[in-house]
Amino acid sequence: MCGIAGLHLKDHTYRERLGAMVAGMLRGVARRGPDSAGVAIHDDVPDVPDVPDVPGVPGVPGVPGVPGQAVPGVPAAPGAGLTVFREVGDPEEFAARIGLAGRAGVRALAHTRMATESAVTAAHCHPFVAGEERLCLVHNGSFANHATIRRRLAGLGIITETDNDSEVAAHWLAARRAAGDDLTTALRRLTTTFDGFFTLAVTTADSFAVVRDPIACKPAIIAETDHWVAVVSEYQALLGLPGLADAVVFEPEPEEVYLWAS
Amino acid sequence: MTHRPDLIDPGRLAAEAPPAHHTFGPDVLAGIRERAELGRYPIRGWGARRAVPDFDDLLLLTASASRYPLEGYRERCDTRTVFGARRAARPVVLDIPITIAGMSFGSLSANAKEALGRAASMVGTSTTTGDGGMTPEERSASRTLVYQCLPSRYGFNPTDLRAADAVEIVLGQGAKPGGGGMLLGQKVGARVAGMRTLPEGVDQRSASRHPDWTGPDDLKIKIEEIREVTDWQIPVYVKVGATRVDHDVRLAVAAGADVVVVDGMQGGTGATQDAFIEHTGIPTLAAVRLAGDALADLGLTTDVGLIVSGGIRTGADVAKALALGADAVSLGVAPLVALGCNAPTYRRRPVPPPDSAPTGASDSAYVEVDVSAEYAALGTAPGHCVHCHTGRCPVGVTTQDDTLAARLDPVLGATRVANYLRALAMETTMLARACGKSDVHRLEPEDLVALTVEAAAMARVPLAGTDWIPGR
Repeated sequence: MCGIAGLHLKDHTYRERLGAMVAGMLRGVARRGPDSAGVAIHDDVPDVPDVPDVPGVPGVPGVPGVPGQAVPGVPAAPGAGLTVFREVGDPEEFAARIGLAGRAGVRALAHTRMATESAVTAAHCHPFVAGEERLCLVHNGSFANHATIRRRLAGLGIITETDNDSEVAAHWLAARRAAGDDLTTALRRLTTTFDGFFTLAVTTADSFAVVRDPIACKPAIIAETDHWVAVVSEYQALLGLPGLADAVVFEPEPEEVYLWAS
Repeated sequence: MTHRPDLIDPGRLAAEAPPAHHTFGPDVLAGIRERAELGRYPIRGWGARRAVPDFDDLLLLTASASRYPLEGYRERCDTRTVFGARRAARPVVLDIPITIAGMSFGSLSANAKEALGRAASMVGTSTTTGDGGMTPEERSASRTLVYQCLPSRYGFNPTDLRAADAVEIVLGQGAKPGGGGMLLGQKVGARVAGMRTLPEGVDQRSASRHPDWTGPDDLKIKIEEIREVTDWQIPVYVKVGATRVDHDVRLAVAAGADVVVVDGMQGGTGATQDAFIEHTGIPTLAAVRLAGDALADLGLTTDVGLIVSGGIRTGADVAKALALGADAVSLGVAPLVALGCNAPTYRRRPVPPPDSAPTGASDSAYVEVDVSAEYAALGTAPGHCVHCHTGRCPVGVTTQDDTLAARLDPVLGATRVANYLRALAMETTMLARACGKSDVHRLEPEDLVALTVEAAAMARVPLAGTDWIPGR
């Protein structure tokens, strides 16, 4: 279905190296999602400047010249900036085009997509960004009851941009957060609200979280050191990370919410 | 043109019957002769015979590569169904989303009512009284008993109301929306007459509208009155025959219903005019989508329950009804068939030889007694009988005759009905799991496609193999 990768820096001296670390992780999950890719990078420097447009992928129907989507700094969370790129095409070429390896930040999500039921367009790429706080979500798996939840969200005036199942989860989480749930509570609720198979990685301006469905058959590996914590779909995607030999490496349990906050 | 003598064979043509007339087919001719004989409309039991679009015209899109199915034995698929939690102190909690519909004592024998109550309790679901009141056998046999409040007021009293687990206000019935109940004199024995405070042996025609209200504004007051009498303890259902479903569901909700029960045109009856059964109301398939969409539009999908009925037979029917928006289904005819309706035999427990020691014989031991000849005496045959109205049911289900009624053993009957309901629940969860659902209520319209344009239009799901929904 897809490959996911997420990286959260506990030690911000790694900030300049974040892009290179994520680029290696993305490469490690590229074969799981050959049709499109996306990255979300949170940084702790204020007012991230708009990222220059990146040329779209020529020859992909329905995606004429889609640029990388640049989301400027989030005013509601001073000191936090978020940049998102999403494109159709080969993930490694995507990483090269956006200069991922040279980008700095403190937290990132990356996704490589093998589309299941919705179209292959830039708008259907992960990470999905939802809500006032610009919650970011990447998903490996598929949901089985998202149509009903999408209708309920629409009843609350929350309209999804695409027919993608993962986008529903992003908006649903944002709605729960807006209703007052902390991120752990919202993710716990998600595991009993959404049917289907999922490993999700979620970021906000200050948090990084991982959760899996009750059956947990979509792969996930977490590695944690004193300096960073990473989640990937496959172990090999961790191999380039500095200090991996000293990391605590484990498979996240079903329905357990793992959360790190800065 | 070459001469083809084999195509023009006067001898063969003469031997073949001419084709039946379409407008005046054999059934129509028989119906004209019956009316000419009787000088009135024909009356019968069961629901619509004619073919209408139904759940067989829908298919489920179960999981494959893009979605994942759940394992049948290890992975959870909930069937628990709760009604009335918003207002009632004691909501109705059912283990399966399959309930037994209201059928009166009068129309059914006391043994049949008891058997249905026992079966419903065995599988953790509810059964419903009917136009005639609550019998003690039925009350004691039923864990969850829904008490109907009907225009006739037969057997309706505050004592039984307080003994109920829910009350169902009946505005109409799928077999005869706009019409009242009917019980012919041959079924009005002493006990039935006593419960209805009416004379024995006289045809009873219930009112078609309730004297306490006309319209939803008065109904709102009636519902408040019922809540007062029951101290806000139990849920209030409102049942409508499926005609103007969108309006009626909205009005039932406006009047204060916790649950709306929508009965499609295939819904059964113990005795109704044939013209009513075949020519009024809309198919259950169309009704469930209209009702589900009305509740969704009101934003009350979670707060107000939806039960649909009318021709539900299998777990596949249940799964499709839930996918279109129902929270539960209600069955009438099918449990009667499980009790023995239309079977050539009835089952009784073996009589032990005199002086034998008690054997503790199993409740499930039985002998079969053939009654085909009695069906023939009614002018019908097993598999074709709709003669509930005569009160001469050969298997003791729809009769008030003591000898006939004794043919239905409530314990044996309950076992069969419970088996049937369990099988339906198993089929429903099997299909829901195959769609990747951990709860049968998470089935959704997007899990369905239609085999015919008519069903696609009514259920508002795509025609199979296309993304086309007629009218969209």
